Amino acid sequence: MAPSRGLQLSCTFRGFVQCRSISHRPIQTATTPTWLAHARRPYSSFTKNVSNPAHKLQSYVSRSSDPYLNLSIEDHILRKSPPDSTVLFLYVNRPCVVLGRNQNPWSEVNLGILDAATEVKELKDTEPPGIGVVDIVRRRSGGGTVFHDEGNLNWSITCPRSEFTRDKHAEMVVRALRRQGIERARVNERHDIVLDQGHEKRPADPEDTHRTPYTVDDGIPKPLKVSGSAYKLTRLRALHHATTLLESPNLHIISQYLRSPAKHNIEAKGVESVSSPVSNIGLDLKAYQKRLQEVFAETYASVGKTDIAETVGDELLNIPDIKKGYDELRTLEWMWAQTPQFDTKLDFVDGPEITLNVHHGIIKSFDVEEHAVDDTHEDLRTALVGTKLQDVKDWSILLQAKVESYNDRCAAVARRLEELLPVPEFPRR
Amino acid sequence: MASRSSVVRAARQLTSAAVKRPSPFACQQWRRTAQMPRLFTVSAQSKEKKYTEDHEWIEASADGKTYTLGISEYAAKALGDVVYIELPQVDLEVGEGDAIGAVESVKSASDILTPVSGTVAEVNEALEQKPGDINKDPEGEAWIAKITVSGEPAGKLMSEAEYKEFTEEA
Repeated sequence: MAPSRGLQLSCTFRGFVQCRSISHRPIQTATTPTWLAHARRPYSSFTKNVSNPAHKLQSYVSRSSDPYLNLSIEDHILRKSPPDSTVLFLYVNRPCVVLGRNQNPWSEVNLGILDAATEVKELKDTEPPGIGVVDIVRRRSGGGTVFHDEGNLNWSITCPRSEFTRDKHAEMVVRALRRQGIERARVNERHDIVLDQGHEKRPADPEDTHRTPYTVDDGIPKPLKVSGSAYKLTRLRALHHATTLLESPNLHIISQYLRSPAKHNIEAKGVESVSSPVSNIGLDLKAYQKRLQEVFAETYASVGKTDIAETVGDELLNIPDIKKGYDELRTLEWMWAQTPQFDTKLDFVDGPEITLNVHHGIIKSFDVEEHAVDDTHEDLRTALVGTKLQDVKDWSILLQAKVESYNDRCAAVARRLEELLPVPEFPRR
Repeated sequence: MASRSSVVRAARQLTSAAVKRPSPFACQQWRRTAQMPRLFTVSAQSKEKKYTEDHEWIEASADGKTYTLGISEYAAKALGDVVYIELPQVDLEVGEGDAIGAVESVKSASDILTPVSGTVAEVNEALEQKPGDINKDPEGEAWIAKITVSGEPAGKLMSEAEYKEFTEEA
């Protein structure tokens, strides 16, 4: 188990508060010259700074809102920073849904509404909220699916594996929140940060980051989650990254993105998200970000002063290692084929149920509820087995092209596939 | 595991008519080895289970052409409850030091690295159904993959004793 060649990601939102009105610049690929022009010096020194053995404490903020880039910068930090250093990295992503490494996008995400703003599809009950394009990202760390937007600050800390515990830095973040007046904040048993909702104030040790005056022992009212954690471990290093919902304007629609219509039709290996009611903390993102940097510096004051504090951005795509990680996160293979093996049940109002097994993103089997197989099923099986999901743009077109005697039942199967196993455009920009 | 001399000694004891009392060396494993002297054409040294600094173990097959790879008990304990193991695909070509899979436990992903180059010959599919088994027997039943190699591993590997020392230092 060690040096991560895999990818890890975390997410952020679009820009910081003061630049929220500026729409983010699409990152196109190697041909985009804008960020090449002014960035020679900073990017060439970034890796040097990160890997300098003298830099025991480092602090970076990203001005990019690109989730793929921010996750790749983070991965670069994990793999290049000195073994005994501790590095804080803060970033805000544009609206995106971020899955854990070993999750199933079809059962975790309402993929149909990601297409929302870009395509004029017929409107369904699941009519998408008008927040524009929402990216989908598979990160390199474990854990569950989260939603990011410009009101969510992502923090990540990379530290020596020997000093790592899953709670250590969540506790640090709770101290920063309390310092900003959020006295209901605490670390819960899932290593997430919640706001207690108890009605009465009771005595509690202010130093205890796992209990507040509003903690209720029977769990009712349920605490609201404001920060979710995930980790990537290598032999010598540990990366802890997490979200912080400060002032998301999309709180009311997050659950629409994270509720899949296929949830009950998919039986998946891998990791299933645990859903929790969420809340905004209600702090100004910029002010809180500054506070968090201060608390980080205080926490590690015994190590010394922060050796390096920098703001980074799109220019880092010039670093081959970061570009490589960025490109990898944006491959169809990583996004779709990386999905752990799963079964999908296609159920119909009339007619037997069909079960598809998908492994490495390829349909491996087609099974019909007992004793009900007929010629149409045989045709469908021939058409579907071997199909790589990521290659499918439209299930109807695919089946019409592959099944000679295409009939109403084939159309019904295509419709069900479109509902349960859609493959949205990826990457979206 | 056994050094060459202890294997030889065990074999000698087993074949000697004088050995009637139970010997500490006369466990099942030695007996099997002793009955198949052909195996000694490959040095005992290279077939010994070896460990990496990244907490994987490898063990060569009798003919030395295939290595079984897994994660150490120390690693399994440190990870906590494993909820998913990403296995490599059979026939995948791997290079020394490559990540060939990953383990997830308590929201944490850790890569599995191979210390040998070669081709993935077999993966332990049972782990896809029951990833938690890796917490029970990581150095036995819950092996991860078998890799067909063209040469001997070149990177830094430790014997069981050296690895034990290594993990105690850490």
